[in-house]
Amino acid sequence: MTIDAKQNYYIVVIDDDPVMRLSCIKILSKEGYQVESYEDGLQGLEQIHIKKPDLMVVDLKMPKISGMEVIARVHEIDSQICIVVITGYATIGTAVQAMKAGAYDFLPKPFTPDELRIIVERGIERTVLQRQSIELARKKEEMERRFITFVSHQLQSPLTAVQQYLQVLNHLKNSPEKEKLQQQWIERSISRINDLKDMVEDWLTISKVESGCIADACEQIDVLPLLQDVVSDYESFIREKKIRLRLSIPDRLARVWGHFDCLKIVFSNLIHNAIKYNKNRGKLTIRAAEDGEFVAITIADSGIGIPADKIQFLFQEFYRVRDESTKNISGTGLGLAICQKIINELNGKIEVQSKLNKGSAFKMKLPKYKGGSVD
Amino acid sequence: MSEKARVLIIDDDEDFRISIRTLLQSEGYQTIEADSGKQGLEKIKLEKPDVILLDIMMETMDEGYLLNQVLKFQKQYEDFKAIPILMVSSIQEDPLSRFPKAAGQVDMIIPDYYFSKPVDIPKFLETLKKVLQK
Repeated sequence: MTIDAKQNYYIVVIDDDPVMRLSCIKILSKEGYQVESYEDGLQGLEQIHIKKPDLMVVDLKMPKISGMEVIARVHEIDSQICIVVITGYATIGTAVQAMKAGAYDFLPKPFTPDELRIIVERGIERTVLQRQSIELARKKEEMERRFITFVSHQLQSPLTAVQQYLQVLNHLKNSPEKEKLQQQWIERSISRINDLKDMVEDWLTISKVESGCIADACEQIDVLPLLQDVVSDYESFIREKKIRLRLSIPDRLARVWGHFDCLKIVFSNLIHNAIKYNKNRGKLTIRAAEDGEFVAITIADSGIGIPADKIQFLFQEFYRVRDESTKNISGTGLGLAICQKIINELNGKIEVQSKLNKGSAFKMKLPKYKGGSVD
Repeated sequence: MSEKARVLIIDDDEDFRISIRTLLQSEGYQTIEADSGKQGLEKIKLEKPDVILLDIMMETMDEGYLLNQVLKFQKQYEDFKAIPILMVSSIQEDPLSRFPKAAGQVDMIIPDYYFSKPVDIPKFLETLKKVLQK
């Protein structure tokens, strides 16, 4: 620790021996610390209420109040304050007791300046580490709390939108206008409930993937029929948007080692996105080829693309690019998070390349099935 | 109030805006809408509404809070800071715990009125009336 850094720490010395107080102050302030001293524990305790020290050096044997009691009372005020006990040889037993009571370390009298310096510096370092870990734990808790708030908000929103429609309808007097509204609102409500159902399903998929059970149920999979199967699920959507589809997969392609249902979820998400975020009459290209230990699969579209500054957030749960071009496209914001989690579980990789207004390409690498060898 | 009071609805949920807009219009209010905090501030300047209905979580988690801060503290919105704000959110919890004072942050201003979504219609209309009479 540099002298500059030491200036930030405040040390209180409590000892009834004036010579000892003076020498402690001299040694420690020369190191750069802010130091103050008190001749008895009561005085010291009064003062630390006003300004909390980072570390205290406390003599065990004092007339008015014992060092042991000082330790207990200091830790009542702040259990994080680091206490170093100084004691004569005769009271080694008490020193051990003091450490059990929460003192950080002890220094038998007489001690050299170096001994005091070392023990104090170690104590301060421990205090700093302890504070950092408390701060980290606090931040983690805060992040978890925010995440829970966020998830519950995402799940509540469709529900409350529908509830509000129903309550307003219930409140409005009957009229031909109300009849018309009713029809529109029923349709909007159905769509919101469907969104909610998708979100709950996606959420369940995430928890299933995160439970780590998919690695145990892996098998060898032929990706071509699986991809064809998924494409056929979206046939009407492809036709509706007049998407030109190109499947470029060699006849003889190594099988991958994966989980059938999970890979289907990944391909479905990516192919659905490639249609959803595509332009009318756009292109959808699906390529697969062997690449070393992997089979590389690319699903590329010629759609609206992803702004460069948003790509880094793409795989985060509930993240959606929100702008004019995506305003009317619905989605749970969980699809890509699910894809990434599944592919990670399968020891594969997924990455994205995208150009705004030109399109996006999601490239996956899935591990090859290694024949009969035991994995 | 002789003229129709104007309510600005700031909410990113289109369905919520539609139902509340319909409700308010049926009660004789005029409505203005914004789908984000940013657009909300523009509409406040442009239209100077009589009351603002403000969602909390929009594109970012605290968008509504931030808009409230901006309105109450920034000099350029001095003329608008007296506009009453009714906050609404679909987070179901104690309203006070929604306004925590995180370390190193400016205090979140607790809004005068807070409603959970879906809003309780009789209570909501009553509050609106009361706020506008002040």
